[in-house]
Amino acid sequence: MEINQIYVNLPVENVQETRAFWTTLGFSINEHYSDEKAICVVMKENHIYIMFLKEDFFSTFTDRPVAGGETTQTLLAIAVNSREEVDIMVKTATENGGSAYSEPQDHGWMYQSAFSDINGHQWEVMFADASKITDKK
Amino acid sequence: MKINQIYVNLPVKDIQKTKEFWINIGFFVNEQISDERAVCIIMSDHIYVMFITEEYFQTFSERPVPKGDTTQVLLAIGLNSREEVDQIVNAAVANGAYQHEEPQDYGWMYHNSFWDINGHGWNVTFADPSQMPQEYK
Repeated sequence: MEINQIYVNLPVENVQETRAFWTTLGFSINEHYSDEKAICVVMKENHIYIMFLKEDFFSTFTDRPVAGGETTQTLLAIAVNSREEVDIMVKTATENGGSAYSEPQDHGWMYQSAFSDINGHQWEVMFADASKITDKK
Repeated sequence: MKINQIYVNLPVKDIQKTKEFWINIGFFVNEQISDERAVCIIMSDHIYVMFITEEYFQTFSERPVPKGDTTQVLLAIGLNSREEVDQIVNAAVANGAYQHEEPQDYGWMYHNSFWDINGHGWNVTFADPSQMPQEYK
């Protein structure tokens, strides 16, 4: 079985501020799927999208209450195309209301940094150089 | 900004049961990055889901893992036919998941959903772009 698309749906308090944050990081918005209750951030055209939904709207899709920000149910790891892009994204995020929660890690073939966005969702940003992968997990 | 891959990381109680569940639904495992603490499910060339034991998951976040009483993320995945949508949900339910809502048929889009054995919510969709209403184009 293979899927063709994923939409990761996350609750947010303020859709407009969330839109500004992710636009500032350099991502585009799919306006067809965006309105005052939700925005659709395009991470990889035709394949990977993040939907940020206003908490009261998000809660209509689940029979459990929306997490209050004191727990972590998901960590989202995204791969970009260079070390520079990793650093730029984390720097831009922290300058715009996000926060770093761990130090960058350099594994040689893989470089990784992380930020928590303005809604407390945690993002692991990485660049992996496939040509340098040794026979290692 | 564009990403090239996403790894959705989710905490689970039992790796072996989780692995069997997702194999029974029809997905493949990337054994190279799976071990007794984590299993990597291949959803497409670009999209992976890492199920990680709660203890190990905990080492990546300063916040505790939720106890299953809240929702912080809902994952929507796109498949290639209506039959695949029903097949995956039926297989999930036969293997310990439960159907979250009745299937919904919008003509151009067909939608079904399940909550997996670890309580993570999955919306499964087939969309036929050729039948998409004009307002979405």
